Amino acid sequence: MSMLTRRRPEARSTRRTEGSKHPRRNRRSFWIGVAFASPFIVGFLGLFAYPILASGYYSFTDFNLFQSPDWVGLDNYEQMANDDVFWKSLANTLVLAVLGVPLTIAIALGGAHLLNTPIKGQPLYRAVIYLPSIIPIVVGGYLWRWLLNTQYGFVNYFLSWFGITGPSWLQEPDWTKPAIVLVVLWTVGGTMIIYLAALKDVPHELYEAASIDGAGPWRRFLNVTWPTVSPVTLFQVIVCLIAYLQIFTEPYVLAQERLNNISSGPDQSMLTYAMYLYQNAFVYLKMGYASAMAWVLFIVTLIVTLVVLASSKRWVHYGSK
Amino acid sequence: MKNSFFTTSRSRRLGAIAIATTAALALAGCSGGGESDGPTTLKFSYLWSGPEAKVLETIIDDFNASQDDIVVKGVSSPDQQKQLTSMSSSNGSFDISDNFGENVGSWAAKGVLAPLDEYIESEGIDLDDFAPAALDQMEHDGQTYALPIAVHSFQLLYNKTLLDEAGVEPPTTMDELADAVEKLTVTDDAGKITQIGIGDANTTTTLTTMGFAFGGSWSDKNGPTPTDAGNIEAVDWWQKNVVDLVGADNLADFKAGEGQYLSAEDSFFSGKAAMIIDGEWRSASAGEVAPELDWGVTAIPAATPELENATQVTSSTLFIPTNSKHKDEAAQFLSYLLSPEVMEKFSLTLGNLPARTSLLDSDAYSDLENFEVWADALTSPNAQSLASAPYSAEYATDLGNAFDDVVRGNSNAEKALEYVTTRTENYTK
Repeated sequence: MSMLTRRRPEARSTRRTEGSKHPRRNRRSFWIGVAFASPFIVGFLGLFAYPILASGYYSFTDFNLFQSPDWVGLDNYEQMANDDVFWKSLANTLVLAVLGVPLTIAIALGGAHLLNTPIKGQPLYRAVIYLPSIIPIVVGGYLWRWLLNTQYGFVNYFLSWFGITGPSWLQEPDWTKPAIVLVVLWTVGGTMIIYLAALKDVPHELYEAASIDGAGPWRRFLNVTWPTVSPVTLFQVIVCLIAYLQIFTEPYVLAQERLNNISSGPDQSMLTYAMYLYQNAFVYLKMGYASAMAWVLFIVTLIVTLVVLASSKRWVHYGSK
Repeated sequence: MKNSFFTTSRSRRLGAIAIATTAALALAGCSGGGESDGPTTLKFSYLWSGPEAKVLETIIDDFNASQDDIVVKGVSSPDQQKQLTSMSSSNGSFDISDNFGENVGSWAAKGVLAPLDEYIESEGIDLDDFAPAALDQMEHDGQTYALPIAVHSFQLLYNKTLLDEAGVEPPTTMDELADAVEKLTVTDDAGKITQIGIGDANTTTTLTTMGFAFGGSWSDKNGPTPTDAGNIEAVDWWQKNVVDLVGADNLADFKAGEGQYLSAEDSFFSGKAAMIIDGEWRSASAGEVAPELDWGVTAIPAATPELENATQVTSSTLFIPTNSKHKDEAAQFLSYLLSPEVMEKFSLTLGNLPARTSLLDSDAYSDLENFEVWADALTSPNAQSLASAPYSAEYATDLGNAFDDVVRGNSNAEKALEYVTTRTENYTK
């Protein structure tokens, strides 16, 4: 008892010094805070949490968007295993990622070096390279459809200056994927700007030290620049991979034959995973199947990301450690 | 102390404002449904845009001026997915809209479309006046769920100058067509196609139409029938006489260089395709885009005499969604849109065929070159339409891929269409 009475004032005083002097007022400000945060909380629950849970449930049902879903267990997942088009769309998407991610990283890093060179008009070049990123993808896609036309397009006309006969970008199954990657690379400016910021952080004295040791530009890049920007590269690779795994707008616009028509490009070569998911959901009205596909995509993305993260121990260097 | 009191009261006041604002916004969101005694406001959401939307707006104005009970508000919304999502909620965003014949079955099966039979009777709409092939698509389980405002048929267009130069008469049989295609296909020294005998505006439509012309059928009451003998024969004919003639790669190259559909660079309009199977809207666009072109149109050649004037009919339809709160008024407006004068005004602007057969002889269409050939086909007993069933969209996609395989030389008719049969097992029932 005596111990309690002795301790109490102590405990109270600690609470007082750490927290507010007015617990009731504290509680009130908590609720006021909640009131202010409520648009976000409601938005999060309604627009994120609920749809995620609902899609998980729908993935085990036969649901057409209009009538109540029927429980079918694992049917949708089984159907996916036997669906040629599903596998085709997955393969197309992976090919795009394998082709696109390294190119994006290489071009962004190379471009960032160029933008980092102190020359006249540098801010202008930086702005110009970023410009395509602010143009809506659909607008850019339509522009590129025209640029890539075999007969009337500028791309093949440009190639003809060098005596090269350009391919039928959007008609030959082998060339549609490079065409999509090309259109995505058009907006590489955003990635480049992030790299530019990272390059600014590379300590100058390291370059000087390397130069004194007789390292040429390539050695300096390999031993100084690359390790220093590797954490940024890890971030870029993951973001870029996720973007490619979910790629929709560019192939959708490039493959489109007529408005509101289902198109997958020649030999279904432009049908990406997200496009097939969308077709199932909103054209065939198979929302259950589409939900199952969404979960599979989530799991695939998760695995790929974890693999990249695991591999990063070998090639990412954190300067402070 | 005074300071902290002030802070609390201010934050309390701000909190109250935040709550009040949220509540006000929520109330504002709900108050849209309130009805007063005035005229009923109908929302007409349509997929048309540009000049079609413009003429629709004048039609809406005429309707609004003609009576005091209903005010129609038109909105151009060309996105089909938006239309669909609006119909999936209990409170829709429109009372009447339009779509294409092939979607009626799928949507009706899901309960999205309001049945129209009762309104057809109360509004006195005479179904006997409508093109029979178009009406086939409007029904599901014995009930009518949509009505066509404009319809389309497919015929064989030919470039008179090119046919004269090659000494070819417009073909009337499939053998004559094959012969004409061969004579009209021109390649340069390198083997590259410079002029194609018969072009292909849309492979799926061209080949499904050819299927009908060979006496095939793409479905029956039990579902899809991709491997029907006539269909295989048609696709096989196309492969032998069009694809193999120049080689699949060569053909793909030619198609890759084709300009935008219906533009001045369109292969038929620019004289690079001597013939093409396409719809009546060509007549209106030829007048605008290629006024110099000397062209004619004839019935698709018959594979056998009894298949004379075989064609495919598609349609633009009007429907009322189940979640409309003003179905009676929407039906009144629907009936107005389908009345002969309004239908004529509308279809004329689009260069489309009117859905009412009584309008087909109207002088109003006489300015459209060669229009009558398409119009005649509409009443032919061999005019057919693709089934409008729950599986239509999936089936069309798979057929498109199968045709693409054939045209690219990756497969033959039989193999490609058999593959479609295996796909039909997972179709929506």
